[in-house]
Amino acid sequence: MFDKISSFLVPIAGKLNNNRYLSVLRDAFMLAFPLTVFGSMVVVLLNLPFLNKFLNDGTIATLSNTFGVAQSATMSIMTVFVVFGIGYYLSKSYNVEAVFGGIVALASFLFLTPFTVETASGEVVTGVLSLDRLGAKGMFLGMISAFVAGEIYRKIVQKDIAIKMPAGVPPAVSKSFAALIPAFITLTIFLVIHAVVALVFETNLHDVIYSVLQKPLTGLGSGLIPTLVVVFLIQLLWFFGLHGQIIMNSVMDPIWLSLSLENLEAFKAGEQVPHIISKTFMDTFTVGMGGTGMTLAVVAAILVFVKSKQMKQVAKIGGAPGIFNVNEPIIFGLPIVMNPLILIPWIVSPLVVVIFTYFMMKIGVVPPPTGVVVPWTVPIGFSGYLATNSLMGSLLQIANFFIVFAIWLPFLKVIDRVNLKKEEEEAKAAMANQNTDVNM
Amino acid sequence: MKKILLACSSGMSTSLLVTKMEAHAKSIGDEAKIWAVGQDKAKQEMAEADVVLIGPQMSFLKGDLQKEAEKYGIKVDVIDMMAYGMADGKKAYEQALSLIGDK
Repeated sequence: MFDKISSFLVPIAGKLNNNRYLSVLRDAFMLAFPLTVFGSMVVVLLNLPFLNKFLNDGTIATLSNTFGVAQSATMSIMTVFVVFGIGYYLSKSYNVEAVFGGIVALASFLFLTPFTVETASGEVVTGVLSLDRLGAKGMFLGMISAFVAGEIYRKIVQKDIAIKMPAGVPPAVSKSFAALIPAFITLTIFLVIHAVVALVFETNLHDVIYSVLQKPLTGLGSGLIPTLVVVFLIQLLWFFGLHGQIIMNSVMDPIWLSLSLENLEAFKAGEQVPHIISKTFMDTFTVGMGGTGMTLAVVAAILVFVKSKQMKQVAKIGGAPGIFNVNEPIIFGLPIVMNPLILIPWIVSPLVVVIFTYFMMKIGVVPPPTGVVVPWTVPIGFSGYLATNSLMGSLLQIANFFIVFAIWLPFLKVIDRVNLKKEEEEAKAAMANQNTDVNM
Repeated sequence: MKKILLACSSGMSTSLLVTKMEAHAKSIGDEAKIWAVGQDKAKQEMAEADVVLIGPQMSFLKGDLQKEAEKYGIKVDVIDMMAYGMADGKKAYEQALSLIGDK
């Protein structure tokens, strides 16, 4: 039966993974990744809890004002990088001059962005871009406009109505001319869109897309039930040996990242962090405990309570990578894949942990993630602190560790008995072989 | 010299196997270049390789990579699950050799 489901899932997984738009989106987020991690680390350092013990408030404020730019220039304007990345990678996927695709997408997005900011007192300042439109709030419009601009751009390039230069003209020159016509047409289209929206509807697409699309979607994505469904699907995909996150995250990342960015903006402003579920939550409290399925606890349980040689060996191989949340050895070596004895703890423990973590944050025992980007390879304990800016985050991870440990243990014992029996029989068979050898 | 490319989601878990495969190749006196990349790099790195092995969690890449690999006349296959899980360098190396064939 498992084989049947697997042969049904593999092509779907392949389609999702190889989908041009999803893989462009994945690459575009990866482009922003080093910058956002850097910005996040600076935020973490500026908010170390013991900082106020030996520095006075004035010094801390000066530090924040000076070094806060590291965050403003990276995470706060993440949409800029993502928009460029989408234009770049989309053009590249069509074998069209990629860097032009990138800047055309970026300019197209900016065409739709108001260059005015309304202050709290209602005064309108012109000639400025507001940070949140280039970051958290503009994320969905950014993605949409970048894909649309990229598609228009590459179609016109591929139609080949570009200006052809005579031989002898330096390649860079002819390239920049070749980029002219497609860029002109794409930008004109976006300028017209902007004009229509601004003059006819007297609004801007930022506000429209945010309230019509982004807010409802992120609202849905931040709910506990939808999150449990996603976690369930990730576990299920891995059970069939398929990389669950690669497949699910390409759909969920825009939502989770927007939630993270909104959290970070609030955290930076010293306000209550609005969302529990976010990219940081998923990476830190579902993957950051030994990998998918939180298998570091499984490794520990095997090392302490299990006697089977084969299982012990898997745990030894899987231990070191597990600390950095790489757990393919456990998944394929134990194995977890298509192992009916393991299906229950494999699916149940992440769901229990997510529910427990969610409520610990909901009732305020542990602060929700601040929105800083914590790479998923950061070890358990450290990642919990970095994500929540509180030692309670680390403690919560340790509590989760023991939850997983407790759920798995009875199942591991059963598997251990099966394996021991098998190993015993193999040893007997080997012994019998040896005896016959001697007799001969 | 045998050139073996391993590919997975980000090249992280397969890199574990690379060290084991290298050790095995060395122990039997083979000269081999073995390296791991993420799926986004697999297509371009393929040009340098004699064979491509995919981590089992990315088995759905096979069709797509196989098409690309035909240009270079090399084979693509998914690494045996148990060999992958136990980081069995010998088994994975032998799988690679049998795919390369007499080339």
